[in-house]
Amino acid sequence: MAEVTLQKSLSAPKTGENTWLWLLKLVTGPLILVLIVVHFVVNHYIGSNGLLTYREILNYYRIWIVPIMEGLFLVLVVSHALLGLRSIILDMHPSRSVLNLINWLFLIAGVVSVVYGIWLIRVVVANIPGS
Amino acid sequence: MNTSKNQPSPSRLLNWFNPRGRSLEGMAFILNRITALGLTLYLFLHLIVLGTLARGESAYDSFIELVHNPVYIFGEFLVVAAGLIHGFNGLRIFFTSLGIAVPRQKAMLYVLMAIALVASLIFGLRMFTA
Repeated sequence: MAEVTLQKSLSAPKTGENTWLWLLKLVTGPLILVLIVVHFVVNHYIGSNGLLTYREILNYYRIWIVPIMEGLFLVLVVSHALLGLRSIILDMHPSRSVLNLINWLFLIAGVVSVVYGIWLIRVVVANIPGS
Repeated sequence: MNTSKNQPSPSRLLNWFNPRGRSLEGMAFILNRITALGLTLYLFLHLIVLGTLARGESAYDSFIELVHNPVYIFGEFLVVAAGLIHGFNGLRIFFTSLGIAVPRQKAMLYVLMAIALVASLIFGLRMFTA
């Protein structure tokens, strides 16, 4: 009985959830935690006013690894959020047609968000004086 | 642990958020879901709002001026706290899903939530005094 309770307390792929996507959601979590702590520290501790101004953002993006790190953060967090939301929806046992619709909507939302975010990063980098 | 509450159906949607009769792990489950939904909503709003960066320095700095008030700062603080709580609680789920420290997950939950709480207070102190 104790073993059954223990097994049920563990996270595992749900019905309708691909094992690789479940694993992706799981693995992106700790990576996001590292990046989000960096994000919070930079935004709330480095910023002179508690939040970065436009010029402070440009200065931060001068560090070559920052645009790459922010791009990676964007891809990881969007993937994790949408896979997590899909996982919550799976708990409501949607029909196959509803799940197909959700899969397409989330795929489109994910691609649009990542493309838009990367475009925004490129705009910021392009506005760095001397770039 | 009453795991049936962790297997909701559409008709029992509100049971996800019902803390009565839940074990500690069950409470962690509710916390994980609430923070996940809040953070996902915030993520997409954040991406939209960051579009002001493309409109140049005056547009972005005007926006920063606008949000530099106690109401927005409190909202930002909730986002930071939710991010830390969801992240550290997620770390416990990550480890236990890989079969690591499963018998000690209750202790792990206490330690990780204490870290999240202290970190939230440190950020909150900075955010409300900057």
